[in-house]
Amino acid sequence: MQSPVSNLQYPISNLQSPLGFLTAYVPEELFHAAGFTPIFIFHTADAHGFARAHLPGFTCWVAGSALDQALAGRLDGLAGMALAQTCDTTQGLTDLWRRNVPHIPLFHFGMPLRLGSPSARAYLLAELQSLRERVQALAGRPIPDDALRESMALYNRTRALVRRLYARAALGDIAPPDLYGLVRAAFQMPKETYNQEIGSKMQELSPLPSCAPAPLLLLVGPALADPVLFDVIAQAGARVVGDLLDLGERYFAVDAVEHGDPLAALADRLLALVPTPTKHHPQRTRAAHLLSLVQERSADGVIFARQKFCEPHGFDYVQLAHALDQAGVPHLLVELEQASQAGQLRTRVEAFVEMLA
Amino acid sequence: MPRYPRLRSLKEINSVMTRYYVQRKVLARIKPLAYVTSGAPVEILEAMGVLTLYPENYGALCGARGAAVGLCQVAEAQGFPADLCSYARSHIGAVLRPSDAPLSGMPRPDLLVCCNNICGTVLKWYEALAALYDVPLFVIDVPFQRTTPAEPYVVAYVADQLREFVAWLEAHTGRRLKPNRFHSALALSREAVALWQEVLAFGQHRPSPINAPDLFVAMAPIVALRGTRRAVDCYRRLKAELEERVAQGIGAVPGERYRLLWDNIAIWYRLYRFFRPFMDAGACFVADTYTNAWTVELDLDDPFVGLARAYSGVFINMSLPTRLRIIADLARRFQVDGMVMHANRSCKPFSITQDDVRDELRDELDLPVLIIEADMCDARLYNEGAVRERVAAFLETLEML
Repeated sequence: MQSPVSNLQYPISNLQSPLGFLTAYVPEELFHAAGFTPIFIFHTADAHGFARAHLPGFTCWVAGSALDQALAGRLDGLAGMALAQTCDTTQGLTDLWRRNVPHIPLFHFGMPLRLGSPSARAYLLAELQSLRERVQALAGRPIPDDALRESMALYNRTRALVRRLYARAALGDIAPPDLYGLVRAAFQMPKETYNQEIGSKMQELSPLPSCAPAPLLLLVGPALADPVLFDVIAQAGARVVGDLLDLGERYFAVDAVEHGDPLAALADRLLALVPTPTKHHPQRTRAAHLLSLVQERSADGVIFARQKFCEPHGFDYVQLAHALDQAGVPHLLVELEQASQAGQLRTRVEAFVEMLA
Repeated sequence: MPRYPRLRSLKEINSVMTRYYVQRKVLARIKPLAYVTSGAPVEILEAMGVLTLYPENYGALCGARGAAVGLCQVAEAQGFPADLCSYARSHIGAVLRPSDAPLSGMPRPDLLVCCNNICGTVLKWYEALAALYDVPLFVIDVPFQRTTPAEPYVVAYVADQLREFVAWLEAHTGRRLKPNRFHSALALSREAVALWQEVLAFGQHRPSPINAPDLFVAMAPIVALRGTRRAVDCYRRLKAELEERVAQGIGAVPGERYRLLWDNIAIWYRLYRFFRPFMDAGACFVADTYTNAWTVELDLDDPFVGLARAYSGVFINMSLPTRLRIIADLARRFQVDGMVMHANRSCKPFSITQDDVRDELRDELDLPVLIIEADMCDARLYNEGAVRERVAAFLETLEML
């Protein structure tokens, strides 16, 4: 039977004023309120060979693929592109995009590094105001507070739906490819459509047989990793009950407050998220969050899916793995490259799942 | 083989730096010690009598002494992926196994101070150190300067954090920031930066009395001793020696034929050996983008705002158009004939846009550019044969111009 998730493809040309973005800290609502349709530019397994003329071989493919797609003309329908300040590679991509893809205007958003400090909030508010002005200039129209609040309400509904999805996943009730197909769709479809359709899609997913003694896994990594990985996990007989992926559960965990100053609401939402490894929060640590997830979901193990050459996740892995070791939680590190080595990935994931079972 | 004149001052700088490490080991028993990143506002620490040590400088030392690969492997055995920054891996390796490390490692810090104006990697490195040592960490966020000059609210954000930093230091050390000592540290820092700028400007002479590998040795005090009298003294002596050379017409590369520009951090484990074929062909590296990082002038009127501006404006924190302007300006002022870029696997901020810098220099200034793929510390990523061939081909290109 074909999965109801498989037909959730939205080509750029079908979208109204599509605006691409990368990183897990772009305030999508601000663009939406100006009439754009924000979509995440996922990396693809195929390369057109354009990025290599501009990027050294030691650049992660999440960034490399975005530039490659842009230079190949695959993103020509985009009205703009947005990036938040996260890692050194993203910062370099900001420069390279401006120079080499001038027909798609780029918005750099200065997400602060220290999330716990009062000065960071003041700076973030100023950055949001600056972004608002720059987006207004591109849209050629103002973004009224009410429009922003409406967009936040729409996005809050999406977030609530994705949280319902994860609530089912937490029970081990969704196959990993379906779960991530539906999460990924939230980044690729207009939210209006997503909110209408996804409820019924969720209903269509038949509950998985609960008797299977499937090992329960958590995933940690940058973007929504690689579809191959989700297939491999499913085929190995494991379930994913939660994650700490940059674009996964954490991204949808916090709503924006729909009353009061909308920019303050956007700022407070961004500050309240569990930080990705590119950010620093003295109190809210990723290790503590991961350990509580393990406990809450009764996870049997953790898979780290790291994009090769990703420094923030590379260092983060050591901290998190150490915390898991101390708690006696098994874990596995797999490295993803441009084209995933499905065979090798399968062997390692299968061995890990067998060990857990 | 030709012999090249050595600068006496470099020997002195090396002994000042060795003394610096040795003294830190002793003094750290009685005074608080902070590890700091190379672009941190160290004048505040200096004024408060907090000792500082630079893990990046130590990483370079590991590289130069050929100890980095072994130490990187120690870190890798603990799970640190081999494609992470080799300064970080070397230093973490030294923390984990000081017995294999130069100077038996650095003394244990009481505090960690991390400023991201040079890269984002330092955040992760310092978080790892905070976990290893279980000591407090202060992170100073200096936003990437997408437009120059920085917006007033960006400068205000950095200045606010610096004030917060002082309060944090006072709370953790029980020491006070006294205005007169702060002012004198700032003035000394300013003086050292001005002298360093003068030292760098000597490369404009023909022949140049100084070559990039000399600068990579000479830079240690401007990184590690900013805000102290010793940095000022080191550069006064170096400046005097360079003046002497100019007066006598002595070049760092006798019979200087080509003047080149270097980009990126040094290849520490091949410091002079890498440059030797260039020197033998009469090529002198008269300027570079790396040692230029410590040339931003301090405005003393409002010290916190002055520091915020200066530390936001470091080369590597600027957008590509600004960096291109700086590089083109160096190329013109120093009248260079070509550029050699080190595509340094460990330093993404320096390396990611290099292909575009090369294209710009070729197209706008008609300069030949060579890109060498290597790593600042991890010698496993250095392909001796390939480098030799590419350098020889580049030197032939210069010959034909």
